[in-house]
Amino acid sequence: MEVGFIGLGLMGRPMALNLIKAGHRVHVWSRRRESMQPLLAAGAGDCASAAEVAHCAAITISMVADTPDVEQVLLGPGGVAEGAGAGHIHIDMSTIAPAAAQSIAARLAERGVIVLDAPVSGGEGGAISAALTIMVGGDELAFEQVRPLLEAMGASITRLGGSGAGQAAKACNQILTGVGVTAVAEAFNFARKSGVDAGKVREALLGGLAYSRILENHGERMLKRNFRPGFKAWMHHKDMRIVMDEAHRLGLALPTAAATAQMFNAMLGSGLGEDDSVAMLKLFERMSGGAGE
Amino acid sequence: MKIASMKVGFIGLGVMGVPMARHLRAAGHDLALWARRPQAAAELVAEGVPLCATPAELAARSEVVISVVTASADVDALAFGADGLAAGFAPGAIHVDMSTIAPAMARSLAQRYGAQGMGFVDAPVSGGAQGARDASLAIMAGAEADTLERVRPLLQAMGQRIVHVGPPGAGQVAKACNQMIMVSATQACAEALRLANAHGLDLGALRRALMAGSAGSRVLELMGAKMAERDFSAGIEARLHHKDFAIVMDEASALGVPLPLAAQVWQQLNALMGAGWGREDTSSLLRVLER
Repeated sequence: MEVGFIGLGLMGRPMALNLIKAGHRVHVWSRRRESMQPLLAAGAGDCASAAEVAHCAAITISMVADTPDVEQVLLGPGGVAEGAGAGHIHIDMSTIAPAAAQSIAARLAERGVIVLDAPVSGGEGGAISAALTIMVGGDELAFEQVRPLLEAMGASITRLGGSGAGQAAKACNQILTGVGVTAVAEAFNFARKSGVDAGKVREALLGGLAYSRILENHGERMLKRNFRPGFKAWMHHKDMRIVMDEAHRLGLALPTAAATAQMFNAMLGSGLGEDDSVAMLKLFERMSGGAGE
Repeated sequence: MKIASMKVGFIGLGVMGVPMARHLRAAGHDLALWARRPQAAAELVAEGVPLCATPAELAARSEVVISVVTASADVDALAFGADGLAAGFAPGAIHVDMSTIAPAMARSLAQRYGAQGMGFVDAPVSGGAQGARDASLAIMAGAEADTLERVRPLLQAMGQRIVHVGPPGAGQVAKACNQMIMVSATQACAEALRLANAHGLDLGALRRALMAGSAGSRVLELMGAKMAERDFSAGIEARLHHKDFAIVMDEASALGVPLPLAAQVWQQLNALMGAGWGREDTSSLLRVLER
């Protein structure tokens, strides 16, 4: 299929490469020109704007950081809306607020563009190995039409409902992963303060009810003190803010997520924002008389 | 001391605004009004206070305009929207905003007014409807010192304790701190009364006992009484505290400051809103624990 890709960062680059590998013709544009080079080298079409990407392909994908970025590449000057023809489908795979996704989809629908929200889970590793979990909200027919593209990037693809439903599922995902990383860091710090080897604790727990992918993968990185991203703490901080804003809007109590969001605030305030989320461990160490380095 | 009469505009004639406006008039100031819904001004208009057609018109006849409205966006529209205050003010005029809004918005307003030679004071209050009626409000001011001095006589007509906290925005930071302490104390009060109630204690007697000791506080006195009497009619509507908590928690997120207790209280307020008690009193936090 002919497809456009906008936003070639840590996640977008391997995702776009997987589309090429699966035999699709990919046209790319990114705000930073140098991030386009690996894609151009792999044979992607070179575009000068998001509008040009939309002009070259009737299906486009964006993978950017935050709501203002999505609005910019879709509705801003030189954005997708300017280059899109009738029946254009755009898949936004960024993580933004469900309400923002609904509003963006409604505004583009007025211009004849169908927008699917399709945020992902699985991190850089999942993006490279085309093993992402993709959570989709929006029109069902459009979803069926673009499914082959999503299958080139992900292993588990689920449509959860109308516009915004994919982002709501991603918010649930971020509650579980944010709270999960925090819980593993707390447990490991508890083990250390108790004079017990956290590595052995992890090994023991992997066989029991406390098993989780986070205990396995994130836990291992904590033990190796490998705090390189991965998934940067400031990104998770942003996602927890989306979660808590939604809870406020809906009149919904999320006490555990609220406590976790405060720990992410502390990570940013302590200068750990550029580290991986697993650096949460350092914070707990510092809070309990350790060096946390 | 005879106070020089000033030409003062007033916007925001709610449960706080009406008594505040009356105190200004009683202090001898030349008062005029603007109201988004003219019926909100009916009472004061009947007393002879003139009503202007737009904020700009009110600004044009005023040395100082005071506003007490709800949200950041309301104040922004009032000041710099179509027919806003900035379009009517003469150079040297001052907007005193007594609403509770985000510190960043207060700073932005001060900067935009400053660029046009106009002054801005953020002066949020604490003390509720009772404090407004008694002219006993605590007023937390963020402003340049000389700007604040020019409006101080007006603030003194409405409040008892006027503290210059710092430059523009500082008043709103102080108000955020006030809301954090006040609502967190209300939650603590609700939890204590819930526990006592589960033990079958007489809540009135409990409250009298605690008021005499180290846990005595204004919140225990006022909110505790409402809870003990199960009088959940607003005082201050809980939805306003809920709104203020979004400001507090957004600031914490933006600054990278952990506020673990406030975050928990925020969730109880969310549950209160979800239960449909937003227009009732914040003492309804007790009812959240009883569900």
